[in-house]
Amino acid sequence: MTFLTSFSPSDLSLALPFESLTIIWIALPFFVAFSIYLLPRLDRILTLGVTLLSGLYALVTALQANPLNLALTDSFGVTLQIDGTSSAFILTNALVTAAVILYCWRQNKGSFFYTQAIALHGSVNAVFICADFISLYVALEVISVAAFLLITYPRSDRSLWVGLRYLFVSNVAMLFYLMGALLVYQANRSFAFEGLEQAPIEALAFIFLGLLTKGGIFVSGLWLPLTHSESEAPVSALLSGVVVKTGIFPLVRLALMIPEVDPFVRFFGVSTALLGVGYAMFEKDTKRMLAFHTVSQLGFILAAPEVGGFYALTHGLVKAALFLGAGNLPSRNFKQLQQQPMATPLWIALAIASFSISGFPLLSGFGAKVLTMKNLLPWQVIGMNIAALGTAISFAKFIFLPKGGQGTTKPGFWPAMVILLGGLVLANGFYYEAYSLKNIVKPLLTIALGWLIYWGVIRRLSIKFPRLLEQFDHLIGVMSLMLTFLFWMVMT
Amino acid sequence: MIILESFVFATVLIGFFGIVFKRNLMMKIISMDVMSTGVIAFYVFVASRSGLFTPILSEREGVAYADPVPQAVILTAIVIGFSIQALMLIAVMKLARNNPTLETDEIERSQTP
Repeated sequence: MTFLTSFSPSDLSLALPFESLTIIWIALPFFVAFSIYLLPRLDRILTLGVTLLSGLYALVTALQANPLNLALTDSFGVTLQIDGTSSAFILTNALVTAAVILYCWRQNKGSFFYTQAIALHGSVNAVFICADFISLYVALEVISVAAFLLITYPRSDRSLWVGLRYLFVSNVAMLFYLMGALLVYQANRSFAFEGLEQAPIEALAFIFLGLLTKGGIFVSGLWLPLTHSESEAPVSALLSGVVVKTGIFPLVRLALMIPEVDPFVRFFGVSTALLGVGYAMFEKDTKRMLAFHTVSQLGFILAAPEVGGFYALTHGLVKAALFLGAGNLPSRNFKQLQQQPMATPLWIALAIASFSISGFPLLSGFGAKVLTMKNLLPWQVIGMNIAALGTAISFAKFIFLPKGGQGTTKPGFWPAMVILLGGLVLANGFYYEAYSLKNIVKPLLTIALGWLIYWGVIRRLSIKFPRLLEQFDHLIGVMSLMLTFLFWMVMT
Repeated sequence: MIILESFVFATVLIGFFGIVFKRNLMMKIISMDVMSTGVIAFYVFVASRSGLFTPILSEREGVAYADPVPQAVILTAIVIGFSIQALMLIAVMKLARNNPTLETDEIERSQTP
């Protein structure tokens, strides 16, 4: 957290009000995280207050016409950039964290949990505004630590192993990333993002390996399904809703800044969208299906970097809602859920989220999908349409589950759903131009075709993919393959 | 210089292969530390391209100072690396109660559904 202390008060007094607001906003979560230990009774109120502030900040920055650039201290210092994409990501973070805190409100979580949650919130915010490689590194590492502590919160052997595995994989990836960052510095005498253009090509390969692994993309992202499915529901919601997006955001920003990087990012977008959805279609476990589906949806954000922010917002809200909902189901196995009807209100919540992510009109998932599809390059169109079809197929599994049974939900479930699903409906306003006849017909056809394939084929199949590649040793081994592949890509 | 640089990269590679090939979780963590030592050495190496003197302002003129920026940055990374290592070792201590051999294959088999 050195980058937070690297500005002096004299800088603050000279700065414009908006700039000092930014600095106060970015530092506040960490102060709150430490003061929660002094005021353990106020833990939930303080954390919720911080998330509300983040939400307000995101709305204020969304109204700014020009991106705000901040350079703290001098040219070697921290550089921050807040633009429209940042504010969409920050809003996602604020809404998802607020929903998770409301969900945990009456579950007797200790103040340790809230401390970690808010430290995680703060460092995720830091990622979404930073514009140099070292602040990004520091923020990503703080995220690793906070996420590890949240995953291991139950202290069971399994949670310890899952957390350890996560921390190990992300730390090794970040070591490669550090080497890339140094190569950028060597070429430019600065760690700013723009420098990647002049840096040797090895730098691009190292930095991409770090960010792809951290963001759970393509084969480097195969650590993600186990981590996200074995954590507790609120933690999975945080991880899938916002934490993986911290690997995605820098990629999006780099693609927008440097034209040479754009094709790589788009390529990884398409490949991860197909890989993730391929696994998700055949998965028999609810939470694993959602986790694989995250791998796929991140591809939609990367496939069209210009409009990635809006897609990230809708995906974050939906995935958090689905993970919280799946945590309240009587079983994790789809086969058992088909025998055991769930309570109708829970089904409605899950169905709204599933409809949104399949791109059904009236929910903002529709607008996001239309916008992304519009900004694709010609070679991406086929791949992304197949991925959209796969999404409709995978979520038919949720929509066609039987309802009308008995069951209780956790006390904080409905307030959280109000925030997440309400956000989904309201976010429609960002892109209401999407509602034209042609745009509406296409997703409806995709969904209809998806359901048809689900009833005709997928329901009857029982294919189980081997989990070989998800083993710990293979995760590390895949990194070396990925590095070779990246070197080959940047050479040609 | 070239020899020194190749030693630095060799350290990184040896650490990485240690992570892949060692079976014991403890050894894997130590290999990760070897790898991060390599990365730190790389930063120090690049900082010394412009000179070897510690970058503290002094009376003497015309001294070739080392570049302070990579040194400062890697100091942050060392602290982060050390705290992550501490966390990992605590998790290993807890895991060792029920898995005394700490073989990753064993732990993985018993802990994945």
